[in-house]
Amino acid sequence: MAEVKLVDVEKRYGSFLAVPKQSLTIEEGEFLVLLGPSGCGKTTTMRMIAGLEEITAGDLMIGGERVNDKPPKDRDIAMVFQNYGLYPHMTVAENIGYPLKLRGFNRQAREARVAETAEKVELGKLLKRRPSELSGGQRQRVALARAIVRTPKLFLMDEPLSNLDAKLRVTMRAELKHLHHELGVTTVYVTHDQMEAMTLASRVAVMRKGRIVQLDTPKMIYSEPANLFVASFIGSPPMNLIDGVISQGTFTAPGVNLPVSAADRGNVVLGIRPEELDLVPADGEGLFSGLLYALELTGESTLVTLREGTTVVCARGGADFDAPIGTRCALVPKAGARLHLFDKDSGERV
Amino acid sequence: MKRIFLWWGERALLLLVSCIVLFPILWMFLTAFKRPRDAYSISLHFKPTLSNFVTVFSDPWNLGEMVVNSVTVAATTVLIAVPCAALAAYSFSRFRVRGRKFLFFLILSTQFIPAVVIILPFFLMFRTLGLLDTRIALIVVNLAIVTPFVIWMLKGFIDAIPTDSEEAALIDGASRFRVIRDIVLPMAAPGVLTATIFCFILTWNEFLFALILTRRNAVTLPVGLVSFRTEQGDLWNLMSAAGVMITVPIFIMALLIQKHFTRGMTAGAVK
Ligand SMILES: Nc1ncnc2c1ncn2[C@@H]1O[C@H](COP(=O)(O)OP(=O)(O)O)[C@@H](O)[C@H]1O
Ligand SMILES: [Mg+2]
Repeated sequence: MAEVKLVDVEKRYGSFLAVPKQSLTIEEGEFLVLLGPSGCGKTTTMRMIAGLEEITAGDLMIGGERVNDKPPKDRDIAMVFQNYGLYPHMTVAENIGYPLKLRGFNRQAREARVAETAEKVELGKLLKRRPSELSGGQRQRVALARAIVRTPKLFLMDEPLSNLDAKLRVTMRAELKHLHHELGVTTVYVTHDQMEAMTLASRVAVMRKGRIVQLDTPKMIYSEPANLFVASFIGSPPMNLIDGVISQGTFTAPGVNLPVSAADRGNVVLGIRPEELDLVPADGEGLFSGLLYALELTGESTLVTLREGTTVVCARGGADFDAPIGTRCALVPKAGARLHLFDKDSGERV
Repeated sequence: MKRIFLWWGERALLLLVSCIVLFPILWMFLTAFKRPRDAYSISLHFKPTLSNFVTVFSDPWNLGEMVVNSVTVAATTVLIAVPCAALAAYSFSRFRVRGRKFLFFLILSTQFIPAVVIILPFFLMFRTLGLLDTRIALIVVNLAIVTPFVIWMLKGFIDAIPTDSEEAALIDGASRFRVIRDIVLPMAAPGVLTATIFCFILTWNEFLFALILTRRNAVTLPVGLVSFRTEQGDLWNLMSAAGVMITVPIFIMALLIQKHFTRGMTAGAVK
């Protein structure tokens, strides 16, 4: 268990700036998720923490000690690699047991630990196989098991669930959450799946082009996105973002007329989550009136998409909602609904 | 039609080349079991005998000593060259050091120097050191010849291994040496084996340096062959028997290489 501190850390590949200068503190025992689209520098950041990638500038501290020049083996880290990094010439059991072997555990102790860990990731029956005889999801679980077979100072997990099927992913997510609760080991977790980020994280760092654009608790990231990028990245279905103008306390856009308490300005984007809209069947007052464009039943609710001119708005209605496509409907914000306003040019929250 | 023609053409050409290559070897094997008077006939009708082998192992030929010399020199060379070359090849493959390319070229360039050019300096050097006609001299010379070649060969194999598994091992707590021992070498095993055998064959067959640097005590098998050219003429039957002794180990190794060559070890490391 340790606090991890990045101070003005920067990474360049030749002249290409992969991660621009920035600082980040990961608290002791925290579960920090790096969230962002593919290619935004999540893996690079993690590899710098692991010691696999040289840090171009800045300091990396683990547990209060500067570790820039420490080899990975002395950092007491366990890592799940995005592309597994298994040992192809070893069996699954040998793969999982290798970190223990390096630390001088005897065969008996190793076998017991390995069996127990394999059980957690549902690999119990495959211990004798080699990685080449496993599916992608199974390999990923071997990589995961190898990381959690011992208790390090720091866990680094690079999209550890990306290749599992939906059901197993939910199971493993719960397993990871429980493990973190049980061991309390500081964890840095990389994903591009916002659902994983929301469910697992103590805090989420949303990354874009190498830069952390917002660092906060999942709750705050969801309820108060700092900019358009975060607003559109978090939430499924994503937040409705409507381009319009504010004049005399009213936000207007095609089909939209909504009183807001903000100063007049043009070029503004209004954001509201589908969950915070109520469907009113008749043509009425409120946020938005449009023609029913699509209905998607998700099981516990129905996603309703309305369209008017260039404006498309989605709302979450009851599971029993039904109406013919093309019907005129209207949406009103629920009582206490949050309206988010962003500057269209800078993307920042206003 | 054209295809069939090509197919047969290809086979015929292969057969022809095989015959040209294999005929002398076949001839040698047959001669090794012939009596002196049958040696010059091409006839397959002769009474085979093992007397040639008995003769070459007894006085004055004493092939046994040469076998010991050859095995010692080749085995020691391999045992030193392959581990050293493996470490060098790993470093060349993995570490981005300044001047790396130039250094690698320098090592390779030693292979382009014809042996005859440097044989005299070697002779003088070993004479000064008092190492003429010793196995140590031969081992040193062979190391100089073989190591660059093995480095170059192993680097190719190590380059082809993805670094993911190594990085995982580094994180899991292994030192560089441990990574090389536990991860790289097992994954490069077919390459290491191939390099080992090539290295052995090169040393085993080395002739020129052994001829110049040895006289009586450290004579190796290829040089020993020359002694069958006597004032009484060339003793073909004895020379062939000795030739068989030289070739058989190489044949066995070639078979071993073939078996291991096809087995890929990197499958399954990544998705
Ligand atoms: N070894 C490398 N050399 C050059 N560019 C690299 C290297 N590794 C990653 N990059 C670049 O750095 C950026 C960030 O990559 P990465 O950290 O892998 O993204 P992510 O994990 O978020 O998908 C990408 O644009 C990628 O092309
Ligand atoms: Mg990545």
